[in-house]
Amino acid sequence: MDVIQALKEAISAKNVLDSVESCRPYECDGLSAYREKPLAVALPDDVEQVKAVLRICKQYKVPVITRGSGTGLAGGTLPLKDGIVLGLSKLSDIIKIDPLQRIAVVQPGVRNISVSQAVEKYGLYYAPDPSSQIACSIGGNVAENSGGVHCLKYGLTVHNVLSIKVLDMDGEESVFDEKDDGIDLLALLNGSEGLLGVIVEIKLKLLPKPESAQLVMAAFHSVSDCADAVTSVLEQGIIPAGLEMMDKFSLMAAEEFAKVGYPTDAEALLLCEVDGSHAQVQTDAKRVADILTQKGAYKITVSQSEKERIALWQGRKNAFPAVGRFSPDYYCMDGTIPRNKLAFVLEEIDRMSGIYGLKVANVFHAGDGNLHPLILYDANKPGELELTEKFGTEILNLCVDVGGTITGEHGVGVEKLNSMCHQYNTPELEIFHGIKAVFDKTGLLNPGKAVPTLHRCAEVGQMHVHNNQLPHPHLERF
Amino acid sequence: MSTFSTPNQVIEQFAEQIKQANIDKQTIQITGNQSKVPLGIEDFNGLPVQELNISNYSGIIEYEPAELVVTVKAGTPLTELQAALAERNQMLAFEPPDYGNSTIGGTYAVGLTGPSKPFRGILRDFVLGTKLIDGQGRQLGFGGKMIKNVAGYDVSRMLVGSKGSMALITEMSLKVIPLAVEVTYCIEMPENEAILLMNKMAGTALPMTGGAYYQGRFYYRVAGEHPLQTNQVGVRECDNSVWVTLNPFRPELESGEKLWRVDVESTNPAIENTIAVGMGGTRRWVASPNKPNHPYVTLWQTRFAPRHNDTPCVQKIKLGLRDVFDPNHIFKQL
Repeated sequence: MDVIQALKEAISAKNVLDSVESCRPYECDGLSAYREKPLAVALPDDVEQVKAVLRICKQYKVPVITRGSGTGLAGGTLPLKDGIVLGLSKLSDIIKIDPLQRIAVVQPGVRNISVSQAVEKYGLYYAPDPSSQIACSIGGNVAENSGGVHCLKYGLTVHNVLSIKVLDMDGEESVFDEKDDGIDLLALLNGSEGLLGVIVEIKLKLLPKPESAQLVMAAFHSVSDCADAVTSVLEQGIIPAGLEMMDKFSLMAAEEFAKVGYPTDAEALLLCEVDGSHAQVQTDAKRVADILTQKGAYKITVSQSEKERIALWQGRKNAFPAVGRFSPDYYCMDGTIPRNKLAFVLEEIDRMSGIYGLKVANVFHAGDGNLHPLILYDANKPGELELTEKFGTEILNLCVDVGGTITGEHGVGVEKLNSMCHQYNTPELEIFHGIKAVFDKTGLLNPGKAVPTLHRCAEVGQMHVHNNQLPHPHLERF
Repeated sequence: MSTFSTPNQVIEQFAEQIKQANIDKQTIQITGNQSKVPLGIEDFNGLPVQELNISNYSGIIEYEPAELVVTVKAGTPLTELQAALAERNQMLAFEPPDYGNSTIGGTYAVGLTGPSKPFRGILRDFVLGTKLIDGQGRQLGFGGKMIKNVAGYDVSRMLVGSKGSMALITEMSLKVIPLAVEVTYCIEMPENEAILLMNKMAGTALPMTGGAYYQGRFYYRVAGEHPLQTNQVGVRECDNSVWVTLNPFRPELESGEKLWRVDVESTNPAIENTIAVGMGGTRRWVASPNKPNHPYVTLWQTRFAPRHNDTPCVQKIKLGLRDVFDPNHIFKQL
């Protein structure tokens, strides 16, 4: 009996896809430039079936790539040709909501937005809001430690998860809880990209919805003035709920797309949202407007109604598709930098953009330093994807060199393996591999993702000057 | 990230001591100012331990208030760090308890958080990166100074609570927050009513940063502008000192009694022999001769005696991780 047959017997044939057509939706995640048909896709109905899949895969020594909604942007759930995709979308029950304790216990396939929708009637919500929140799953959020636009004030996924239940390749359950003594394994599992275990249950922290929110929009004649203004807001003790910056290209594209009244003569646009009690919001919005004016904003708009606030956000929220209209394809980067390096980094990106002949639009989570340059390219032009990736790698290296990181919220996946070699040295990577081996002795859980092999880094280092694009990045290199 | 800071003579000496201990098969106990754990004379095998004291590796390395990040040496006393932050109108959100000249390194090692835990988060939430020396004397860096960073496993948060048993943490970068302007209110009521009320209030838009029950009173703390509280029956404003009394909590005990730290769900009904409820109901301090029957209980006489409630699976993981960081078991287990 082969592994596919064994899976079909264990979790029923209808829950195992193995034809080319049925596997097609699982060939890639949000990073669609990378595709691979898996051996099969297993879609268990419940946790017991997940355990069965893991035990069978262990027995047949078949890699397991756990997948939620497939919205990840770094190829973290890219299948392996000889591996099984373990899709957890059917584990979509909200197991428990306790409004008094302000917690929800959910299965991994529950969509992010449905948690907030389910608890809205209690005046509560789940804070992390990645832009894919209508589709992305909580299990995937934990695996990636996903962020969103409100991270500065409300934290990432790791700050909003109280407990998780995890399976190893034997199907054995472990619970990692915030209340545990000793080292913080719960924190370790957040953002571990499916390499350390299969998350089957999550206890989430819920927050009371803020009483009120107001948006301050400010237009600047220069990017560096705008960056300085952000610094001033934070220095003076205001922690905005959202603090987003767009460069000229992004704001023009967004305005053309959403027609919300963004000032198209600006070089940089800042959207600063404050939330909290009515009184606090009024005070803070006025203070923010004053600070931004002092720092050179030539036009300030303060939302006067909930309708206006939501309308002003529409441009920013549609910035990616808006920019996308200018190009057949775009490539979204995720570097994070100290805010005080923003002006320098944007200038450098602009310079590189000229060298590579590829346009770049910049949107920036200014509050937490997370930069999302969108590189515009055409995948149908031979070599342009490769060129784009090379450009992207250079941007990430720049982020590391100014004291930042290669990924703020999207994860490493397969996409940023080479950049990991730039961020971490050999002993640090050895520790990562050591951690992986403790949780997964078989090495079957999402192998080849998130942490590059030492051989690969050696090779990237050697190839760096000539061409650091590897043809098959998921393959180990010796 | 190896470029965290420039090589330092003290760090080199620490690394050298650890390397030498590998050769000599010598157990090392990492100490700070010993405010929480005294230096033990012997390890579990009865062999003498060698001290590695971090208190002389002290001071702020980098502090940029606008970046909301401070990078600090592990031996820095909490008071010194907190004073430097206060000068720029900022603070440590996790309000660490100071047992008397406690260092930030020791606080990280034990993973202690103050009264704002359910509202602002726990210590590890604010750790952005660490520099450390592992059991082989290798100088490593994990995380960085970024609020968002998902490159590689989150080692710098994982090691919070490691009690010096896996690596010597030498430096850390912490997220800081604006100094909160806070007011405390109190009202007399029975414990169970207070537990219910603090949970109810925490689910409203009131900007709460503390909820406790102590000596017959429900205390709650509110930050920033908020609706008038003292128009409610029985509610009055009181000073903020109760949060200091509870953090660190050092009650006088009757003879034969022990102090137990019990971590529960915030809505857990009153537990017998409780002398204080803190952290919005999630922390119960129990004074009794016997261990309360709950899953997350710590005897608090040595302030953090080890608990052994890990499942075999989790125990195996912890032992495995120890081998990754300290293969020759140089660092003393606490």
